[in-house]
Amino acid sequence: MSEFVEECRREWRRLGVPDQVANEMAADLRADLQEAEAEGGSPEDVLGNGAFDPRRFAAAWAVARGVTSPPTPHHRSPWRSLIATALTALLGLLAVGAGLALMVGFRGHSFAIAVHRAVAGPGPIRILPSGPNRIVLPGMRGQPIVGTQITGVGIQALALVVLVVGVVGLALFAAVFFLWSDWPGSRRDRRSRGQRSPSWN
Amino acid sequence: MGSAEGRRSQLLRGVLDLCLLAVMGEGPAYGYEMTKRLRARGLSSVGEGSIYPLLGRLERDGLVETRRAASNGGPPRKYYSLSPEGERALAAGVGEWKAARDAVDGALGLIEAEVGP
Repeated sequence: MSEFVEECRREWRRLGVPDQVANEMAADLRADLQEAEAEGGSPEDVLGNGAFDPRRFAAAWAVARGVTSPPTPHHRSPWRSLIATALTALLGLLAVGAGLALMVGFRGHSFAIAVHRAVAGPGPIRILPSGPNRIVLPGMRGQPIVGTQITGVGIQALALVVLVVGVVGLALFAAVFFLWSDWPGSRRDRRSRGQRSPSWN
Repeated sequence: MGSAEGRRSQLLRGVLDLCLLAVMGEGPAYGYEMTKRLRARGLSSVGEGSIYPLLGRLERDGLVETRRAASNGGPPRKYYSLSPEGERALAAGVGEWKAARDAVDGALGLIEAEVGP
C-alpha cells in the first residue's frame, strides 16, 4: 500500500504538482486504502483498475484536479525524421555497395589521385596546386618541367573502411532509436508504463 | 461484442459522475465512503477507472464542495458534498439518463418482440 502511495507521490513530483496538493491527495489515498484493508478489501475495491498502474492513476487524478497539464503527445519533428531516414538510407547504401565491392573482388585494383603538381624551373622547386592551367613562371626560359604526384588507393581497403563505417553507423542509429524513441517496446515506452500488480505491500 | 463485464463498465463510465453526485446527495462523504455507498446500491465495480479522478473533475468544475474533517477514529478525511451547481447538474443529468434509458428500452423492446417467443 505505502509503495503504491509513494509511487503516486513520485509521479506527482515529476508532473510538478504542488507539494500541498500532493500531500493532501496522498493522505486521502492512504487513509482510504487503510480502511479498505482493515475491512478485508483489496486495493482494487478502492482504485478499480488504477491499482495496476500507479503512475497512470496518479497522473489521471492530477490532471482531473487541474493541478497539472495533460501530457501532450510526443511530436517528432518532420525534419528530424527526414534527416534520420536519409542518413540511414545513405549508410545502408554505403554498406551494401562496399559489401558488394568486397564480394565481387577488386583485389589488386586501385585508382589514382592527383595530389598536386610540381613545377621545376630555374631556382628552387615550388609546389603548386594541381589544375588544368599551365604555369609559366616569370623570368623562365623555355618550358618548365611539370610533374604530377600520384597517390594510389586500394579499392579493397577503401571498401572495407566504408563497410565498417556503414555498419557501425547503422548500429549506432538503431541503438539511439531503440533507447530514446517512444516506439512500442522501446526503453522510453517501457519506462512510461511501469505496470505492476496490485498488492497491499 | 465484449464481455458482459466490459459492457457494464462502458455503460457505467458515462453515468458514474451522476451516481457520485447522487450518493453525495445523501450527505457528505469521503472517497472510499462513496465507493461503499455505490456498492450498497449494486455498483460493486466502479469500472475500469477509479472515482478519484472523477471526484477531482467534479471539484474542479465546481459541482462539489469539499471540507477536511476528522473521520470516526481515523485520520482527517476530505468530505465531498453537492454544491448548488452540482444539485442542478444532478437534476439535469437524471433527466438525460431517463430519456436515454427510455429510448434504449424502446429499441431493445422492439428487438425482444421480434426475437422473443
